[in-house]
Amino acid sequence: MNLAVCIGARFAGVRGAIAAVAGLVLGPITLVLVLAALYDQYSNLAAVQGILRGISAVGVGLIAATGFKMMRNEFRYPAMLIVVVVTFVAATVFHLALGWVVAISLPLGLWLAWQKVKQP
Amino acid sequence: MSALLGLFLKFSAFSLIAFGGVNALLPVLYDISVNQERWIDAQTFANYFAIAQAAPGPNFMTVTLIGWHVYGVLGALIATFAIAWPSSILIFYLQRYIQNMKNVQHQQAIQYAAAALAIGLVLASAWQISWQINHGMIAYVITLGTIAIMLLTPWHPLWLILIGALCGLFGII
Repeated sequence: MNLAVCIGARFAGVRGAIAAVAGLVLGPITLVLVLAALYDQYSNLAAVQGILRGISAVGVGLIAATGFKMMRNEFRYPAMLIVVVVTFVAATVFHLALGWVVAISLPLGLWLAWQKVKQP
Repeated sequence: MSALLGLFLKFSAFSLIAFGGVNALLPVLYDISVNQERWIDAQTFANYFAIAQAAPGPNFMTVTLIGWHVYGVLGALIATFAIAWPSSILIFYLQRYIQNMKNVQHQQAIQYAAAALAIGLVLASAWQISWQINHGMIAYVITLGTIAIMLLTPWHPLWLILIGALCGLFGII
């Protein structure tokens, strides 16, 4: 989504960004609403409930895997992994609200990143 | 009408903080729609999440479905628009600002820091939402298996979704 905004904007400015987003969402919205209508009809079936349980367990894994894949790039500068861990712990162990998580992790991240990039 | 306005305002505000993507902030979305606004219950959230994962398209489809639940097709469109417009505008100016920066080192530092923050949030999001969505050992086995397969093989995610669906169909999960 954000990628579409960036790419659309780069090729054709504001109009490009809007066109890219519209092109990206209209088809999937239609499809997902058809699925939702089917769900409304058949959600009582044990088979449908089972299928959705299976898919959501996979879905959670896919999101986590996205995070781990993005992490691979960070190994170029392992100190950034500290920021990843601090963010994770602040959100999960201490249940801090998003604002606090960002307020802690972003300055730390900028400082650590600055140590890396300021060297020639 | 006030339901539509509620959808629009809540999701617009959510979008403003969710410019790293909805998936990084699923626990916040859960909190808004299940605990605060009571638009849907926990089970429906899990099911909508599953439908949105199975359907191709951007990762904010859970929001589209919540909108649909509240106010039909109009609700779906309003919710989708609300989730998109603030973060799109924000990202548009943010990337322009960062690209126009004279100091390349500043640029790099910001990108490094933002990436690390995003990764931490995505992992925390998956961790927290798994407690809401997964029930029982088998579900966690499937989640962990998904992570392993995604990291170690070049399989397309669609195959895993299919396997998950089959596990559910045959009552394994």
